[in-house]
Amino acid sequence: MSGIGAALLNSLDIGLLLFIIAVGLNIVFGVLNIINFAHGALYMLGAYLAFTLINIAGMPFWAALLLAPVGVAILAVVIDRVLLRFIYSRDVADSLLLTFAILLIINESVRMIWGSGIHVVQPPDLLSGSVRLLGSSVATYSLFVIVIGLLLLAGLWYLFNRTRVGRIMRAAALDRDMAEALCINTRLVVTGVFAFGAWLAAVGGVMAAPMRALDPGMGDKIIIESFIVVVIGGLGSFPGALFGAIILGLIHGFGGRYLPEVNLLLPFVGMALVLLFKPNGIMGKGANA
Amino acid sequence: MKKTSIKNLLVAMTATATLGTVSVSYAEDPIRIGGLYILSGSAATYGEFAQKGIDLAVDEINGSGGILGRQVEMVYEDSQGKASVAIQAARKLVYSEGVDALVGLDSSGVAQGMVPTMPELQKPLIITHAATPDVTGNLCNAFTYRISVNVAQNMKAAALVAAETDATNWTTIGPDYAFGHQSWEFFGNYLKELKPDVNLMSETNFPRFGAEDFTPFIDRVMDSDAEGVLISVWGGDLVNFIRQANTRGFFEKDMEVMFTVGAATEVLSALGEEMPEGVHLSTRYWYEAYDNPVNDRFVKAYIDAYGTPPSYNAEGAYAAIYAYKKAMETAGTTEGPAVAKALSGMSLEAPNGTVTFREGDHQAMVSPNWGVSGPMHPEHGIRTLTNLQIFDGEKVARTIEETGCKL
Repeated sequence: MSGIGAALLNSLDIGLLLFIIAVGLNIVFGVLNIINFAHGALYMLGAYLAFTLINIAGMPFWAALLLAPVGVAILAVVIDRVLLRFIYSRDVADSLLLTFAILLIINESVRMIWGSGIHVVQPPDLLSGSVRLLGSSVATYSLFVIVIGLLLLAGLWYLFNRTRVGRIMRAAALDRDMAEALCINTRLVVTGVFAFGAWLAAVGGVMAAPMRALDPGMGDKIIIESFIVVVIGGLGSFPGALFGAIILGLIHGFGGRYLPEVNLLLPFVGMALVLLFKPNGIMGKGANA
Repeated sequence: MKKTSIKNLLVAMTATATLGTVSVSYAEDPIRIGGLYILSGSAATYGEFAQKGIDLAVDEINGSGGILGRQVEMVYEDSQGKASVAIQAARKLVYSEGVDALVGLDSSGVAQGMVPTMPELQKPLIITHAATPDVTGNLCNAFTYRISVNVAQNMKAAALVAAETDATNWTTIGPDYAFGHQSWEFFGNYLKELKPDVNLMSETNFPRFGAEDFTPFIDRVMDSDAEGVLISVWGGDLVNFIRQANTRGFFEKDMEVMFTVGAATEVLSALGEEMPEGVHLSTRYWYEAYDNPVNDRFVKAYIDAYGTPPSYNAEGAYAAIYAYKKAMETAGTTEGPAVAKALSGMSLEAPNGTVTFREGDHQAMVSPNWGVSGPMHPEHGIRTLTNLQIFDGEKVARTIEETGCKL
């Protein structure tokens, strides 16, 4: 019984971290129609910036959690203004190629700046150690990840459903020309949404830093996971990102615990099953078509 | 006016630089050695360590007159940890870069894929890191050598360590590819021979390479009745594993924990004090294990140059360049088949003592190092190894018949 409790909490912890990352990918696709291959690289940048702020500049973790994502968002504004603006009106394949190039540039830059070695970040004192919960010991930091994930979930829901900014973002997603006709500065919306997606990726990176070793390949690992989340949940869907992330979290948490022989296959089996029955993902647009 | 003079200066400088190159190229062409390592992605640190070791060796050799009077020059290609990429890169190195010999390979999977193509290339390859027994076993060939410890040697040593403990119920956590599975297989077979009453649990754990979250597997082992666990997770994954295991209290359980590549210096420096004390750690070369002039020189030069103690991967790559020096000087040529032949049965003084490439399978008879993690090193910021055991390379190696190698 304690095993199931532990696996459940672990699944939530993995799942909500994945949600933070994948939801940014999904918002960017939903509004801008861009599959951002560089999303994982932005996540990695968030983690490395946090490492620099904490281990080199000596700042507390909390300062890094606030500052690093803002830094990445600023970089995203530059990427949007310098590179992406040329391809928004083009085919999705072009954005895939361009963002893949950005991914390679960021990966190589990270290797040049921080080296190829393994770096670690310590959790803040407040969150180190573990607590007893559901009959097993759980890292306090994992609970923190779960709490932040839930807070972001609530915040995003509020943003999209209850605020003017959220409505503008949705309007721009639905029909950009009409939005423009209604005097919405869609140029600003586009940049803002891309920066917001990058901010979310970087928040994920900072959150991941105290539990996962930093290396120059960490972005590539997470982007594959994020794509699986998006395929399961549905591309461009906000609740889809949540469903996909929780399902993948459960696959990792329970699969590793109870079906370790096939843990390698499970995410792909899950993805294949969803594709068979819901080709657009569980919450994907046109899922019923 | 000023602008022009700067421009002239630049032209002059360029001309001088070109003259310099021209005059160098009048000398005999350098000997070129191709290096095939992982230079990008998560495991790029391994390629970088190899390059650092090679740079030291090449500088030393070139500084003292080169090989056969010729300078040595390295050409690197990124294997990306994929066999198909590595094969293509090896062909490129041989056919278009014209290298005389190859060193490299970090991954067992890559080695299994690439080694069979070596006879076609007709150039010798010294493997400096990848540990699968197959490449000096059933896949062996006249051109393939390995200077580093292989899984069979290290697991024989591991079994000797494990047999000394009271643990009878053993399981494993290892990456889900050749390295993880072969480590467990060899360990289990050797341990069973040494101590027939051990129980090798059927519940084994093979998370995927790069899994990031190892908690489910950690919990599974903690809830089982395992008394001993062999962990072959390595690199960044191992750092993740140990940090996650720490928060679960994994090391407080009454269990023998053995890390097959735990004493890799990159892992130790990343973890610092987070590496628990009192666990069994192994490495293919521990920089403080050998008291000989070659090692003293190597360790000192490495620390002077890079500020950290050398990892096993740097040592293997460093020694491989010296192996080529000796083999080429013995053969009196850089011709691939002749150099490959000279390597067979050859001995050289390396940082880890006298290294001999056994004739029957081309595996170097080198010693796995096992120890127990101790207090922090006062200068290097990493855990020390206590109760260090240096296993005799010859004694932990399989017999030629066992390797399945037919040369």
